[in-house]
Amino acid sequence: MHVLAAAGTGLLIQQIENGIILGAIYALVALGYTLVYGIIELINFAHGDVFMWGTMVTLTLTQMLGIHGTVGGLALVGLLILFLAASMAFCAGLNVVIERYAYRPLRAAPRLAPLIAAIGVSFILENIAQLWRGADSVGYPPVFPAITFHLGSFSIGLLEILIILFSLALMYALNLFIRSTKLGRAMRATAQDPEAAALMGVNINQTISLTFLIGGALAGAAAVIYTLYIQFVWYFTGFEFGLIAFTAAVLGGIGNVTGAVLGGFLIGLIQALTIQYWPGGNGISWSDAAVFAILVLILVFRPSGLLGQQIPNKA
Amino acid sequence: MAIRKAGTVSPLRKGWDSLGRQINEMLDGRKIAGRPIRWYLSGWRGGTLVLLLAIVYPFFTALFSDLSQTLIGAGIQVGIYVLLALGLNIVVGYAGLLDLGYVAFFVFGSYTIAVGTAGIAKDASNHVVTLPQFNLWILLPVGALVAGVFGVLLGAPTLRLRGDYLAIVTLGFGEIVPIFFNNVPFFYGALGLTAVPPDPIQTPFGTVDFGSFTDHTAFYYLVLFVIVLVTLFVILIRDSSLGRAWIAIREDETAAAASGVNLVRTKLSAFGLGAALGGLGGVLNGTNLSHVDPGSFTFGISITVLVMIVLGGLGSIPGVILGAILIQFFNVYLLNQLNDVVHNNFLVSNSDAPLHFLANLDFNQAKFLITGIVLVLMVVLRPQGIIPNVRRQRELKGEGVAAEALSVVGALEAEEIGEATVTGPGAEDATEYAGPGSDARGREE
Repeated sequence: MHVLAAAGTGLLIQQIENGIILGAIYALVALGYTLVYGIIELINFAHGDVFMWGTMVTLTLTQMLGIHGTVGGLALVGLLILFLAASMAFCAGLNVVIERYAYRPLRAAPRLAPLIAAIGVSFILENIAQLWRGADSVGYPPVFPAITFHLGSFSIGLLEILIILFSLALMYALNLFIRSTKLGRAMRATAQDPEAAALMGVNINQTISLTFLIGGALAGAAAVIYTLYIQFVWYFTGFEFGLIAFTAAVLGGIGNVTGAVLGGFLIGLIQALTIQYWPGGNGISWSDAAVFAILVLILVFRPSGLLGQQIPNKA
Repeated sequence: MAIRKAGTVSPLRKGWDSLGRQINEMLDGRKIAGRPIRWYLSGWRGGTLVLLLAIVYPFFTALFSDLSQTLIGAGIQVGIYVLLALGLNIVVGYAGLLDLGYVAFFVFGSYTIAVGTAGIAKDASNHVVTLPQFNLWILLPVGALVAGVFGVLLGAPTLRLRGDYLAIVTLGFGEIVPIFFNNVPFFYGALGLTAVPPDPIQTPFGTVDFGSFTDHTAFYYLVLFVIVLVTLFVILIRDSSLGRAWIAIREDETAAAASGVNLVRTKLSAFGLGAALGGLGGVLNGTNLSHVDPGSFTFGISITVLVMIVLGGLGSIPGVILGAILIQFFNVYLLNQLNDVVHNNFLVSNSDAPLHFLANLDFNQAKFLITGIVLVLMVVLRPQGIIPNVRRQRELKGEGVAAEALSVVGALEAEEIGEATVTGPGAEDATEYAGPGSDARGREE
């Protein structure tokens, strides 16, 4: 992936910082995978591309507003709120529409049918973006001012601090929602046993739509952060980034919300450190392979992930 | 049983159904020499017909003198994907194991021919190493063997995984293998290798050059010959006890194991044979393209082959062949033609023309967009494919218990919501579905 290789002293700390920020973005996307898998046992293959469309929305808004450089003060606050609102609303809506028209008709079909449909949706989203924005990545202006705090050899930017705080706030809000609201309870009930939940008066279709809505909104938020931080937008981001975020969800234990967050941070760290410390110094070209290797190893040896429950093999 | 209320069928579904009815009426209604068209197209008669068409195809292309070689070249690419589709069909269609990294075996085959014929590699310090050189005829079986062995090696630790996890693990392998060839200097990294074409063969009827760059006809017939052999092989093995064991596993793994089917060996054989056919396709692909580099092996290839078999009909040999022909001919030939027609048209090339915006559109870029649309539409509207596997449809029809239980839940949901437009599939969708792995029960546990 595209972490700037930090140089000089404090290399390790710098890479850990990079890893944590990447990890926060992975975690937000991984939550979308894990929520959907928890409730309908579907690997929502198109989720990464929903995230990518969030970056497209952010880029488009920026261009429409004619912003080419750094923005400061109140204008920046307004802009961030606008980006987040637009991207989160767009991704949430997109995810709900996908569920309604591509997955819901297949709910009683064998399990692999919706997965194949999800792959198809992923291709559609990716290629519309490619037709629209071209095959090359599009640069994004450094909208957020480069304010950096130094502490000895350690330095951290304001953007980085905000990313970490905002991501944690979103995750906490999600946790509260699932734990202590009526809708959250409906989600948990549906995840446990859809039939029984339906008999108890839970509106299954609405609950599943809500799950996709929340997953999409989190991906939309992650997309804004990603665009501001990585500063480019590319149609293929969804595939790569999505797979890594999915790996994070699996690492934590798919279906487990805390696990997705933990997995996200772990994968971010692993990736940042692979890039820096891979023997032979060719870390960037191996970091994706390293993540896929981790994915394969977890699925083979501990499919339930770090925090997931041991579920019987349904084959 | 069906939860869909009257008048709530979507117009898309309605149009689709009426199209299906019209095609069926044509196949059964129209008669040639006293027999309906369907009779001529089914079984070995249909197969022979397709084979005859494939044999005369190069002669047919001669009618378009300037396009003849392009069309034959397209035929070769179609043929290579027919092999891939037949191979993936063993894994997904028969054994019900969703493999999303099939491109990995295509890579192994392609690199076998490139390394084997070029006879060079690089050592750790970037010096050229000379290796023994082999020709296409030896490398065809070797490529299949190499890919097959890797199929078994990759399959062994993963095949006990659940269906969707297996899909993701295979996807991971499909990504790692090209990255490996890209990053390891031994195979010339991202530059790739150039395969040496086979030498011309002297026969009593003249020289046959399978490696000619100007006349692809000989190579076309070679590919066709390999396809015929592979098809016969797949038919034989499908009807053998091994083939029946694959289908038994697909239908119900637990029941199959209880009936004495060795799950590991059966799944591994499906994975290995499917991989071997992918390798065979790879060897032919490497010879055809002559240059092999890791950048050309993308996830898109795995999915394109999957779309072919889903479109044609999982588990149906005529279906997957038809799917491969349709998709690949569209991809390698029709899209380019469409590009030419649109771009050379005065309505577009003139900057004042109303359709001028089309001038910058490359229809090749829309290839995967269309692939995705086809995939979603087929899974939702006709999961059994264009030419469904008859036996499989019959088997699935009998599986009423799980479907009935699910439709009860569906009906409950529909009542709860009171939503008129619920298109939640009723029993008929669940029973007709011929997708991979019929673990409808899995959703109930």
